[in-house]
Parts: sequence; C-alpha cells; structure tokens
Amino acid sequence: MAETARSRALRTVAGRPVYFDDEGFFWDPDDWSDEAAEALAREVGIDRLDEVQWRVLRFMRAHYAHHGRSPMNRELRVGTGLSLLELERLFPDGIKMGARRLAGLPNPQTCLD
Amino acid sequence: MTERLVYLDNAATTFPKPPAMLRTMVETYARIGVSPGRGNHDLAAQAGELVDEARSRVARFFGAPDPQRVVFGANATDALNTLIGGVVRPGDHVVTTRLDHNSVLRPLHHLAEIGAITWDAAPFDGRGYVDPDAVAALLRPETRLVVMTHASNVLGTVQPVAEIARRCAERGVRVVIDAAQSAGKVPVDMGALGVAGIAFTGHKSLYGPSGIGGLVLRPDLEVETTRFGGTGMDSASLVHTRSYPLRLEAGTLNLLGVIGLVAGMDFLHAEGVEAIHAREARLLARLRDGLAAIPGVTLYAADDLAGHVAVLLATVAGIHPQDVGAILDGDFGIAVRVGVHCAPLAHRELGTIDRGAIRFSLGAFTTAEDIDAAVAAMETIAGG
Repeated sequence: MAETARSRALRTVAGRPVYFDDEGFFWDPDDWSDEAAEALAREVGIDRLDEVQWRVLRFMRAHYAHHGRSPMNRELRVGTGLSLLELERLFPDGIKMGARRLAGLPNPQTCLD
Repeated sequence: MTERLVYLDNAATTFPKPPAMLRTMVETYARIGVSPGRGNHDLAAQAGELVDEARSRVARFFGAPDPQRVVFGANATDALNTLIGGVVRPGDHVVTTRLDHNSVLRPLHHLAEIGAITWDAAPFDGRGYVDPDAVAALLRPETRLVVMTHASNVLGTVQPVAEIARRCAERGVRVVIDAAQSAGKVPVDMGALGVAGIAFTGHKSLYGPSGIGGLVLRPDLEVETTRFGGTGMDSASLVHTRSYPLRLEAGTLNLLGVIGLVAGMDFLHAEGVEAIHAREARLLARLRDGLAAIPGVTLYAADDLAGHVAVLLATVAGIHPQDVGAILDGDFGIAVRVGVHCAPLAHRELGTIDRGAIRFSLGAFTTAEDIDAAVAAMETIAGG
C-alpha cells in the first residue's frame, strides 16, 4: 500500500489480528473476510448482515478485486442496483463509514480531503 | 435520477471552460508554440512578445505598476511557495490567518519545523471575517510578512485586506494576498488594497486552464531566487538571472497556459467581472435561502452574503459529508467538494475538522436551474 501519514492500530477481529486506520478502515484490504465483516457489523448494531447488504459488500469486493480501486459513485449505483440514498439508509453508518468500511475498501479520506 | 451534470465545484476549478478559450489555446499554440524568448528565430520572438503582452495584461488586471514584476508559475500554491521562500529569512516571524489554505499554512509550517521562522494565525469571527485589530495584535518587531487569503475558499468571505494592509504599513510590514478565490470574482487591485504581492491562479475564476498562475509584485518587495536554471538570458554565466521576472522563473514557461490565461481573461472582460459577480451573488442567495429552509441542514457564516464570493458551506445532520457528496453526485449528478478543503485551521474553528463539510461553489455558467436542483436534492437527502 502507498505510504500515508495516517496512524494504524492493531485489533483482534473474528479471532484474527488486523490493522485498522484511525477511522476504522482496514489498513490492508486483503485482511478482509466474511467473518470480519460480520464482526464489524455487530459492532455497529447489525446482528446479521442481510442478503441485500451482502450483495452490496460482494459487489464492492468484486469491483475492487477486478479494478484495483473502489467503485465510483455511479458504478456503485449501477452495480448494486440501489440509489446511493438507499445505500446510505441500508447501513447504520451510511456509505463511507458503513458500506465501504465493512467491505474492507481503502479509506477514501486521502482522495477527498 | 439524471445524468445532467450540475457542477458546483467552481472553487476547486471552474468548469466548463469557455469554448473560445480552449479554441484560442489550440490555435495559438499550433501557430507559435515554441520556447518564448529563446533563440533568434522569429517564432521565438513572437512567442516572447505574446508572453510580454500577457504580463502587461495581468499587471493591468491587478492594478500593478510594472509588468516586469508579473512572474508566471504553475498556480497560486506554486506562487506562494516562491514568494514565502524568497522573502522570509531565518529568525523572521510571519502572520497569516486561520482561514488560510494549506498553500500558505504548509510552507509556513515547514519553515517553522526546520527552525527557520515562527508564525501566528489570526482568528476569524462568527461571520467569517478576520479583524484587522487581530492581525495588528500579532505583529512583532521581527514580523517580515503578513500573507493571507483574500477570499476564504471555505466560507467565501472577502477579507478586509485594505484595512489590514494599512494597519501593517504603519508598522512597516508588507502584506501579500492569496487571490486564488477572489481574482476574477471581485476587484483585486494592488494599489487600492495596498498589498505588496498577489498570488493568483489561472484555472479558477480567471477561466484559464490548470497549470498557470503566478505572482504580481510591487517593486519594493524583493523576492530572492529559490529555484535556479535556464532563463534564456545571461546563459554564459552560472549565476541565475537577477532581473525580474526571470529572477523567479527557471526553465521553459508554460506558454500554452499563458495563452489560455489571457484567453480566459478575454472571456472575463467580455462578460464583465461585476456582471458575473452580481449574477453569482443572486444565485448564492437563492441557494442559501433554499438550504436554510431545510431542517437538518446547517450553514456556516451565511447570514449576510454581502461580502462573499459565491461559496457556501453546509453540513447535514446525521449524514457524513462524504456520503452527502457521493449521493449528490451518484444520484443527482451534482458535483460539490466535501472534506476540509485544504483549510484545516478554518475547519477546526468551525467544528467541522473531524468529518469535513459540503462546499457549494458557483461559477459563471451556473444557472438558477442548477441551484434549484441542488436545493431539491439536499431536501431529499436531509429528509431521509
């Protein structure tokens, strides 16, 4: 991964040690797993990720694996079949801190600030 | 959902560009796109004349006395680095403001980190303005320079630079302004403002391309060379050219950018800076009134827009600003800028440093329909 000025912290999630950045994003997207996503979801009050939520996370993961980057806004809309407003409401913490974070995608902070 | 683009990110860069500007760039560069002022062939001389004319044009635009003190660079950040690095000396003190952009804050921070200077940042009030008294209170005997934004890229407030410069002049301190957000939006006249330097960029409200900007210097402000190289003059000497503007220009100029800058200013001249500003001010008030009526939307320093360029900062309760930006873009085709806008001290003061905020910024091509679309979209988002 590219060097950044952000700090990282090691936590144990779903029985595995994982580095997270200061906003709770996976430091290394390859550390992501279904179990880790479920564990992080429980932390924000989702007892169990439902089918639609999983469809969103699977699309994000597949897009990242294929393109090497997170989906852009319109790609997210087309790929999930949901409006971004629907996506915002689907996860308790919204798109960035909810969907993107649970999908283990890189923190978009550095390119948006 | 619509695929029509509503572009409200003009404070980052104006878009679209005037078609005539783009045509002029291509046509002129195709005709005389050689190294200006280098060599003795006619094309080089013609390109050199074009650059000289551009310096005169920029000097007139900013009310500067000497076109030779118009120095071209890449953008306002580049210009500010050239200026700050070429003016301050070890042991100096510099004053800026908490509204300023990282184009000022980071050079000062870097110089302080290496132990070269100290610096202070004057606060701003709840309306988004820096009090001249607050700047004056920070001046010390060793203060070399006040370098500050003319118009905030976060709040849009045009600062009382003339009064600040007058107060500083009484103490023998020069003021240099970052006009990235004001040039082309409101009059920026070196004499009227009493400033010793103006840093500008071409790609915002001057309607030129990215990659061109520069410094306009009053002749009493000496700036030392911090980058060295070929200038096309004194080439047998190892000493960099001492005369302006080449003293501060090393390497081949961005001629394509200079052509675009002048063509962008042609657009401004034809449209009229005051006419554009008046139109943007009406649309800004329309946007402010529309957003202010939406429950859950917070606006910042927007009660009185009289002294503003067309920038408006907002947050939506319960939704991360980056999500608001994503929804505006992905669902409504509305481009805005979210984050902290390279102005960390301003966002600290506003209490928005952790998550940032949403910035709407208007341009010459913004329409009432664009504003209404943005208000309607924000109403939908906030109503969620």
